[in-house]
Amino acid sequence: MSRKKHKGLFVSILLATIFMVAFGGTFFLFSEQSKKQSAQNLTVVTSFYPMYIAAMNICDGVEGVTLENLSEPQTGCLHDYQLTPEDMKLLSTADVFIVNGGGIEEFLTDVAKAYPELVIVDASQDIEISEDNAHVWMSVESHIRQVQNIAAGLAAVDAQNAHGYTHNAEHYCSHLQELAEEEATLKQELSGQSVVLFQEAYAYLAEDLGLTVAYVLDLDEERQVSAGEVSAVMKAIRQQEVSVVFADDVYAKEMSAMVEDETDAVSVCIDTLVRGTYDKNSYLTQMQQNIDAIREAYGVN
Amino acid sequence: MSSYFTELFQYDFMRRAFLAVLIITPLLGILGTMIVHKKMAYFSDALGHSALTGIAIGVVCGISDTNLSMVLFAIVFAFLLNQINRKNLAATDTIISVFASCSTAIGLAILSRGGNFSKYSTILVGDILSITAREIGYLLAIFVVTIIFWCVAVNKLNAISIHASLAKSRNISVRLIEDIFAVIIALIVTLSIKWIGILLINALLILPAAASRNISDNMREYHLYAVIFSLFSGIVGLVVSYFTNVATGPMIVIIASVIYFATYFYGKRR
Repeated sequence: MSRKKHKGLFVSILLATIFMVAFGGTFFLFSEQSKKQSAQNLTVVTSFYPMYIAAMNICDGVEGVTLENLSEPQTGCLHDYQLTPEDMKLLSTADVFIVNGGGIEEFLTDVAKAYPELVIVDASQDIEISEDNAHVWMSVESHIRQVQNIAAGLAAVDAQNAHGYTHNAEHYCSHLQELAEEEATLKQELSGQSVVLFQEAYAYLAEDLGLTVAYVLDLDEERQVSAGEVSAVMKAIRQQEVSVVFADDVYAKEMSAMVEDETDAVSVCIDTLVRGTYDKNSYLTQMQQNIDAIREAYGVN
Repeated sequence: MSSYFTELFQYDFMRRAFLAVLIITPLLGILGTMIVHKKMAYFSDALGHSALTGIAIGVVCGISDTNLSMVLFAIVFAFLLNQINRKNLAATDTIISVFASCSTAIGLAILSRGGNFSKYSTILVGDILSITAREIGYLLAIFVVTIIFWCVAVNKLNAISIHASLAKSRNISVRLIEDIFAVIIALIVTLSIKWIGILLINALLILPAAASRNISDNMREYHLYAVIFSLFSGIVGLVVSYFTNVATGPMIVIIASVIYFATYFYGKRR
């Protein structure tokens, strides 16, 4: 009997200890977090990085707006992203949710169902999206329209600050327009050239620059490439005399090294602009780097 | 402190998850006792892996609710495994492992067609947001069925696990009871897999029962502690995962493991 009591005591102490450590720890964390929150007028949440940067420019200096981004996936694009409980919490406090649209945010229907009162601003509204490829922000021209859509969406919700949003959007778009003009100049120089893409996102950029796309191999963290596909890429490069391959430096590293080994084509690292520092000008600087890299790869001055 | 809990339960998904934990963890604890006792850890693991094939079959056949194909396939698979078990071949664990790998491979092959496996990767680690009200209904039904089955058959199951032939001579329908037991495991495993994840479902079946076995002297204690440990790790794991922004399945398993090791050393010392 005493052994039984002893055992009961052991189990109670064990569970109580785990309970206290676990709850004490999280309670501490929780109270730290709630200190940070303060009352604001309008909470705007964006679905991922390019939307956040665009919204950051549009909301710049507008009073009473809190801008938040969903917790970002560490790898890959947003396609396979799952909302975390943290995200659901964030969205429950939000007034406006800015999304890229076009099906990239696969969780969107769940969000709309869970928070029927949340205003969802689709940045790609009225923008033509090529099949299954909604990386619209990769085209500067289309991104300008995205910025305008976001500004219009915010102005509709927060009429008081409508002027601020529109003004900011115009200012930001003028910078984007400079980039678009640079692309247009480059387009004339690159006419007739072709390219192989290792990310479907680059299709928009290639279109902006008037490049003929010889082959698209969409590489991401989950993608297993078969030997057949590799040989198809090589064949396309040789037959269509492709001199440049657009690749990213994470998922297409081995692939582009191999292409440079086996063919005469050079690979150029293009940023898909889905992550980076939370700086207002990061879209502009990153896109500028992309354009410079392409110009150099094709040997255009 | 009160805001701590109001914050927790203001969301539907958390309320649903909490309900699911309350229903499923005692069941996993109870079933685990017999799985550990009958040395069937391999069996339930194989069942978990078969979920992938079940989903794949659902996708191929164009069934919108892949839960259905997953459950059906798991039941068929459970019968098949039982059949193999009865053949009394020398290395049952090898054969079960062969079937499990084969079924996993078929599932992966179908689901990864076109390089799109990422869509299904949540099934590996589980997603707590995926619990729907309907699934809680299913779980509740299973809960009732299991409790009834347990009240009727626990002694018979125990007798079978000690000596099948002896049990048979006592007019226990070994086959029937074993089959029902397998079907119940299949149902519970497949219905909880979506939020616990294939990689960890077996841990939740085994750990609480194994921990309880470390310290129990009789069947009653064995069951009692298994249910307490399972429920405890479930609730604490869920709450901690919510505030620390970690996937729920792994958090529950971590807590269950801590309990296991503590009881292991305690049991050894006695």
